[in-house]
Amino acid sequence: MANTLSLYRTVKRLGIPDDRIILMLADDMACNARNKYPAQVFNNENHRLNLYGDNVEVDYRGYEVTVENFLRVLTGRHETAVPRSKRLLSDEGSHILLYMTGHGGDEFLKFQDSEELQSHDLADAVKQMKQKRRFKELLIMVDTCQAATLFSQLHSPGVLAIGSSMKGENSYSHHLDSDVGVSVVDRFTFYTLAFFERLNMYNNASLSSLFNSYNPSLLMSTAYYRTDLYKRPLDKVPVTDFFGSVMETIHTDSAYRGFSVKGTDKAEIKAPLNLKASQAERRALSAYHQDQISDFNKEVCSFHCIWSTLHKTVVEKIEDADTFVNYGLVVIIPLVAASTWLWR
Amino acid sequence: MAFQWSVLYFLVLLQVSFTPIFAGSSGEEEFSEELLLRPLPDRKVLAHFHFESRAPPTEIYGHHHRLFPKAIYQLVQKFQIREMELSFTQGRWNYERWGGFNPITSANAKPPGVELWAILDVPPDQVDASWKNLTHTLSGLFCASINFLESSTAYSSPDWAFQPSSRSLRYGALPREAVCTENLTPWLKLLPCRDKAGLAAILDRPSIYRGFYHSQRLRLTSTEVGSEKGMESGIVLEQTLTIVLEPDAQRPNTNHLGGRVLQPSWSLRSIFGREISGRCVLAKYSTVFIEVERNLVSELKKLGRRRGVAEIASDSWTDPFFDLSVTPDKTIKEMNVTHGDSSSILYEFSTEKYLDYEPFDVGLTWKLPVVWSSPQAPFRASRFLIGSGNQRGSIAISLKSTEPGEGFMSDLAREGCTVRVDVFQVVPWYVKVYFHTLQVFVDGRHRRVTDALEKIHVSPSEDKVSPGLMEMVLRFPCSMKSATLTIEFDKGFLHIDEYPPDANQGFDIPSAVVRFPDFQASTYYLKDNSRKSALLSKFQEKNLLLSYTEILLVPLATPDFSMPYNVITITCTVFALYFGSLLNVLRRRVGEEERFLKEASMRKGMLPQLLSKLSAKLRGKYKDSPQSSSSSSSLLNPKLMFKVALVAGIAVGWHYYFE
Repeated sequence: MANTLSLYRTVKRLGIPDDRIILMLADDMACNARNKYPAQVFNNENHRLNLYGDNVEVDYRGYEVTVENFLRVLTGRHETAVPRSKRLLSDEGSHILLYMTGHGGDEFLKFQDSEELQSHDLADAVKQMKQKRRFKELLIMVDTCQAATLFSQLHSPGVLAIGSSMKGENSYSHHLDSDVGVSVVDRFTFYTLAFFERLNMYNNASLSSLFNSYNPSLLMSTAYYRTDLYKRPLDKVPVTDFFGSVMETIHTDSAYRGFSVKGTDKAEIKAPLNLKASQAERRALSAYHQDQISDFNKEVCSFHCIWSTLHKTVVEKIEDADTFVNYGLVVIIPLVAASTWLWR
Repeated sequence: MAFQWSVLYFLVLLQVSFTPIFAGSSGEEEFSEELLLRPLPDRKVLAHFHFESRAPPTEIYGHHHRLFPKAIYQLVQKFQIREMELSFTQGRWNYERWGGFNPITSANAKPPGVELWAILDVPPDQVDASWKNLTHTLSGLFCASINFLESSTAYSSPDWAFQPSSRSLRYGALPREAVCTENLTPWLKLLPCRDKAGLAAILDRPSIYRGFYHSQRLRLTSTEVGSEKGMESGIVLEQTLTIVLEPDAQRPNTNHLGGRVLQPSWSLRSIFGREISGRCVLAKYSTVFIEVERNLVSELKKLGRRRGVAEIASDSWTDPFFDLSVTPDKTIKEMNVTHGDSSSILYEFSTEKYLDYEPFDVGLTWKLPVVWSSPQAPFRASRFLIGSGNQRGSIAISLKSTEPGEGFMSDLAREGCTVRVDVFQVVPWYVKVYFHTLQVFVDGRHRRVTDALEKIHVSPSEDKVSPGLMEMVLRFPCSMKSATLTIEFDKGFLHIDEYPPDANQGFDIPSAVVRFPDFQASTYYLKDNSRKSALLSKFQEKNLLLSYTEILLVPLATPDFSMPYNVITITCTVFALYFGSLLNVLRRRVGEEERFLKEASMRKGMLPQLLSKLSAKLRGKYKDSPQSSSSSSSLLNPKLMFKVALVAGIAVGWHYYFE
């Protein structure tokens, strides 16, 4: 739980407000009677930082954290009574960060020790999201054992995924807090947090620097990420695209731009036309090209085809040995007759 | 001149005629915050926060509010709420030690988990739909799983035992709901100053959740909708937070007196870790009270008499026993006290004048040890399960007479005096209660049910549809020492989907409510009905004496949850084996070809049989003929033989011809 809460805190610190975060915690750890430090969750042995803080809002907790509710949140198929704070209200321009942690394995993630989320279910949900235009870019971070298998079935464009370990590898926890009695944070999340603690909202560190900051020897597993569905180059994507909410502000001296705006508009308008034209040309070209090729095929065929038809007929017809014998006989007799007649 | 006077008179008349419209309501939004601290007999401290916010009716004031939270206003408008109470509690209120007969207990001692009841002002057939939507909205607002109360198996509609009769009352409770910071965060965001200024700023979360009991409650009363329009102020939102904390345990003082130990001294800083540092400027008044309850007062008086300290004026006679770190602004004594009783004392500190200079911290230091006990309700109600096994059991509610003390019931102990007890209990459908097995034992002896039972309303449970509801009015003689009610039940079976992930823990039966309508837990502090203090006017209202019993944990028979997986695996294996073998058997032609050949050869005779065997062997060397051509090859076999023989004959003839 400290994993999720650490990332929650990071994401809030970098600017995303609570109503844009859906937090699902399956256990009540902070106020559990067995917690020695009530209402406090730490991710470090030094107890320096209370992740639970004063201002936490958990949207789904306890028995509500089920695979069904998770998929409903992703796809947006809720009952009408479900309040807005429990819905993912995203549109086609949204960047979504999805972070999952817990116990997992080959192509699954465990929920509540009684259910699993399978990789193809996740892939289908993401596909639905893409069809319903619920995101522009999606970053999936998974911190479980064999995490990379969970997103192996994804096939929607615009999705970037990173997992803490590959198939056959386990993800390990970072250290044990002997005061509380449990391991408090996992290695992958710990190093992710270490990266973000160095940042503030206005840094423009890129995703590639985040992904390259993982050291397999420190993680004791290989952090694997897949970029085949993601178009933008990773070194151009700032981490605050997913982990923070930074509004780009352009400082202007004057309130209005006056007539100079028109020019840019014009330029903008032109460009699409050009594009369209070139596209049209290309299409024509390709059509022409296709016709040519087909003609070429036809031309060449004359010599080629006869042989191939012959071959085909011959080969097809000869399916078994007795027809071969028949044909052989048919061929042999005139040959023999001719040869004896010649040597008479 | 006369004209001017007449105009003036006219204007005055106009103004006078307008004021009655506003006289009925306050016409202004109000917010007040109060904190009451009370030392408890078992070395703990009760801290009770009371935040009250009032909004005038919409017809007069409009939809835009400055102080009143918009979320609550929209809630009232959308669901037509007349009254609603939602409480989040963790811990069990210890009635013996912390008191059962004071206004705070009767209003704020709540069952663990979530309790929600609401009176909705909609037509009777729409109440359930509105309730369902209300539970979902509240779950989104307070970050709790209140939406589990939406299904009809989770809520019930009591008739008269819970609230005086209301048709559209719905009641639901979730005994196992956890309460943590995420429930307090949105609750505090409903206050105008949030938790940044004013009394709410001292709420240190770890200190609250380290306590022995904490309960946050939200009470809504609205006269917006339905009848009584324009009578009283529109919506009243009351938020209370009741915490029982233990001050940092210092080493017990060596100041023993007769073997007694000094009570721990405490201050706001020692129990919360913080002081009140900033004022909430939006609050009309912000007051801190320290209450010394009447039993403690009488105990102190007795000790004072023993030590020979004269009873001086009310605000200085307690000096020998305890010290207050800040001198109170006012000392309020309880009024309307029944004869012979001592009166509780309230020390009032209004924080406004202190906070200009420095943070405000008030504390109580004990100088001499004192032991007292809090006033109790006439009976101590508790509930437990009888029986073992996964098939049946019994629920028992026991009422034990507490030692009332000081003429509490002495005037009632006349002949023929009876005490009325109301019991309200809801059991889930899988605890199938048999109402005919209700038995009453008074003072250990079995009695006829009709002797004690005056009125009963029962709504039997329906499997998977609705819970079982039981409302009873019982009458017992005042001199009774103990009474027990038992009722038997059968345990039902749940569908495998209905089990929670931790099914082996058991299932909860929510608390039963035991009411004593003959008594009222009210304390009168205010001389007149002035609204100077919302908390004290709450104390003066007709507070019913309520007591919640324990939650029962019923172990039900749980299935083997791995069975679906086992069944699927076994079934698939069996199907695979069966169909696989079946298809194999259908496709294979192992003995068929040989049989056909044998038949054919048996028809021909010896020589063709030998020849055909020879040819078959020759052909076998050439090809691995596919099965499809085997039939054709077998057909062409005699033809081929004929052709070979013909060629051989021609060759022989040729040879002879040319020789």
